[in-house]
Amino acid sequence: MIFIKIFLIAVLTAIFIIFAFSSRLKIFQKLSVILGYLTLFFFILFPHYSDKIAQLFSIGTGKDLILYITVSLMSLISIIIYVGMKNNALAITKIVRNDAIKNAKKCK
Amino acid sequence: MDKCEVAIVIPVYNEDKVVAKVISELIERYPSYTIIVVDDASKDESCKRSCIQGVFLLKHSINLGQGAALQTGIDFAKERGCGYIVTFDSDGQHNPEDIKPFIDRIKKGDVDIVLGSRFLGKSENMPTIKRYFLKLSRFFTWVTTGIWLTDSHNGFRAINIEKFPQFEIRQNRMSHASEIIGIIKDLKMKYVEMPCHIRYTEYSLNKGQSMWNSINIVIDYFVGNLIK
Repeated sequence: MIFIKIFLIAVLTAIFIIFAFSSRLKIFQKLSVILGYLTLFFFILFPHYSDKIAQLFSIGTGKDLILYITVSLMSLISIIIYVGMKNNALAITKIVRNDAIKNAKKCK
Repeated sequence: MDKCEVAIVIPVYNEDKVVAKVISELIERYPSYTIIVVDDASKDESCKRSCIQGVFLLKHSINLGQGAALQTGIDFAKERGCGYIVTFDSDGQHNPEDIKPFIDRIKKGDVDIVLGSRFLGKSENMPTIKRYFLKLSRFFTWVTTGIWLTDSHNGFRAINIEKFPQFEIRQNRMSHASEIIGIIKDLKMKYVEMPCHIRYTEYSLNKGQSMWNSINIVIDYFVGNLIK
């Protein structure tokens, strides 16, 4: 039990360091990452509190609560990544298009 | 710079078996029109075979999709001062004879875009599943744009680009067809559907996109609108 807690905290801390110190994140995003980190850190150390919070929202047990939050977060992250990819694709399109127009040739 | 009244924009991707014939037919029939071929990084000999005397050839360095290729051609046509643009497929499904009535119609000035409809015209060898799928897609277009068309996914169109230079396709891949209907709505363009003749050959049917791809098209369409 102790080992799995140490492992989870180590993984969580590594992810936190990557995100929290990423210069690309805005201040609000950094605060969200810190808040998320502290919340998860708390639940790893004191898992029984998740049951109490779950009951506040009338959601069975703490495991259910964490599952719902995880699924919601994963869905949100997927959408953010997809939109980011689309934005990158738009930027690439612009470069490729300008290049094609610049190098257009009339066939002889 | 030569005067450009009408430009025919042809996006090309891996069509080396038929593209030269398609372009030659267009040149023969419409020698005064500007023909703009956009090769979307074909892996075969399409680019080489598209380079027929008089054609403007543009080449994407990476494959972006049909929507992106069309917009590249449209941007180039705008740069050359073309007044009208016809979008034409490179797989031989469209009939060059249909271009003249489309241009005659748009030149009257009472419409801004003429959309081809295979359901108003004659379509040879259209597979039954495709027929039903296209009928379903027009319902999707109506739900998302409020515009009811008999054929919402036809690549054959004539656009008055001089009047609507802000016409811009942002969806790179196949969802551009739905996006164009959205653009018509957003820009308040006057539109009309006209019959066009589609030739489904064994070649074009083998090359055609899979019906499953429609799921990607729907996702692209909604995400595209999300980040607009």
